[in-house]
Amino acid sequence: MFEVIKAGLETSIQDWPGRIGYWNKGFPPSGPMDSWSFRLANLLVGNQLGDAGLECQFMGPTLRFARDGVIALTGADMQARLDDVVVPQWESIAVRAGQTLAMSFAKIGARAYIAFGGGIDAPFVLGARSTFHKAGVGGIDGYALKAGQHIPVLVGQGRAGRRVKASARPLIRSDKRWDVEAVAGPNDDWIDAEGHARFLATDWKVSSKSDRTGFRLEGPQWTFTSKAYNKLPEHGSEPANILDQGYPLGAINLAGQTPIILVSDGPSMGGFINPYTVPSCAFWKLAQARPGDAFKFKAVSVQQAQAGAQAIKALCVEDSIEG
Amino acid sequence: MIYEQPKFSPGGDRYMLIEFGDEMNLDLNFMGQGLATALAGGTIAGVVETAPCFATTLIHYEPEIIGYDDLKREVEALIGSLGGSDDIEMDSRLFYFPTLYLDPWSRECIDDYRAKINPSKEYDPEFVARINGLTDVQQFVRVHSGTEYWAASLGFWPGLAFLMPLDPRCRLTAPKYNPPRTWTPQGTLSMGGMSTAIYPVASPGGYQLFGRTPVPIWDRERRFAEFEGDLCIFKPGDRLKFVPCSMEEYLEVERKVTEGSYKYNIVEYQRFSVRNYKNWVQRLDLNARF
Repeated sequence: MFEVIKAGLETSIQDWPGRIGYWNKGFPPSGPMDSWSFRLANLLVGNQLGDAGLECQFMGPTLRFARDGVIALTGADMQARLDDVVVPQWESIAVRAGQTLAMSFAKIGARAYIAFGGGIDAPFVLGARSTFHKAGVGGIDGYALKAGQHIPVLVGQGRAGRRVKASARPLIRSDKRWDVEAVAGPNDDWIDAEGHARFLATDWKVSSKSDRTGFRLEGPQWTFTSKAYNKLPEHGSEPANILDQGYPLGAINLAGQTPIILVSDGPSMGGFINPYTVPSCAFWKLAQARPGDAFKFKAVSVQQAQAGAQAIKALCVEDSIEG
Repeated sequence: MIYEQPKFSPGGDRYMLIEFGDEMNLDLNFMGQGLATALAGGTIAGVVETAPCFATTLIHYEPEIIGYDDLKREVEALIGSLGGSDDIEMDSRLFYFPTLYLDPWSRECIDDYRAKINPSKEYDPEFVARINGLTDVQQFVRVHSGTEYWAASLGFWPGLAFLMPLDPRCRLTAPKYNPPRTWTPQGTLSMGGMSTAIYPVASPGGYQLFGRTPVPIWDRERRFAEFEGDLCIFKPGDRLKFVPCSMEEYLEVERKVTEGSYKYNIVEYQRFSVRNYKNWVQRLDLNARF
């Protein structure tokens, strides 16, 4: 159990892989956007990889512990202190009842994760504890943390002093540039050859109007094949309009001329084309990018994208822990 | 058009999109829904879930269990085994929703968009009426409310139904916003392409706005028995009729919704016959408007 002293910026309870199985009713999976860092945090404190923890965004929370336990911080560096002593990241640490964990703004990266030995004990809604705060589903009462809340934590078996080897951590860049994998499709045949070349050659700027629903990108105009113009009226008359269809999570959704990468809390369907899809192995980069950062997309095959997810999974194991 | 062979495309490392055609009609919707239903039984190992829409089925799969090429092969075989839709006869609930067309709240939302994003955005009802060759917004209201709508699928946002007009004489089309709005009021009635939708909660969106209903289609606190324990009121295959109402009626329904005493108007004795529907459509003068 811990008490929320300061909530931070939309700090939310998430579990992994989140609320799966309701895409056909419009429920997004939610869950941690950087599930690599999230899984490692759970591993450090002896939890199952998917147990519920906290996702902190840009400005972390201040929490007071009501009982002794073990926690771990991964992902963005939010300059955490436990009773004024600097807390190391990527390492399990002991906390005692009455101690206060205070986090500040993210110095590097954008999203930090806190795992609690035992995991957060929020009620399951449609099979998951993850918060989808825009619809008031999951977490505690459906929304982000609020000051004054008491958050229950289950009893865990973790111990302090376990560290993630440097080779197993995501490399969160501070140079404001990210190489992001993208698989062509499902609607890549709506974009002409120049449009594809332009997409892959551009440094796309992450807009400040980005959140867990989608990452809006700023860049050049798109150009289309005849498919975007010679179509039945039910598609809608703008070139990027298509008869409403299911969206893959990670889709680069062309809303008019604005590409929006649909992420953890994104819509399941809609009427814009998706010329490319960011595969799950690159979601952690989106999670750690900040407004103003640049994305450079790299085309990969389905098989390469699947191998990328396998490579991350292979790092979220006990072999990656020392101490 | 219904494609001779469905088109398969990848969506990253975990999704596959299957397109059966490129128009809005009942046959294509039954193909999308039919494949989703066939997959729901666990027919193909590694299929996590599906999201069928007007003419497509999106499959979310687990690549550790099945690869893209194997999944494509198995889905092709499954599609080949599905029958046509002409013989389908199914229970179909009919909902009546009081609706205030040309309401002040969607106008306020459009004004906000004009002020902050695009000052030259024409007001949505006037715009949709004009591009569809209608005389004025009053005719737009008559045409839009003159048909039953078919709940083709749920998606975009929890509980949002993509609605298709069943009477071809009431078909209207509209482009989606470019760029989309960052917010839309709850209960707003809207359309994009040829589909109509109600926004379940305040959310971003890209459809043209022209009305509002006080009747909730999303019940987070499980206050209304008509949801039968679900968070969303609609299921694919439901039908919906918008009943134009006055501001006074709107506010009265809203008051009942707020106090939890509202009773949904649902007709549950009808069956929907695809053959009867198609026969009826064939006899219509498609150039007529209301």
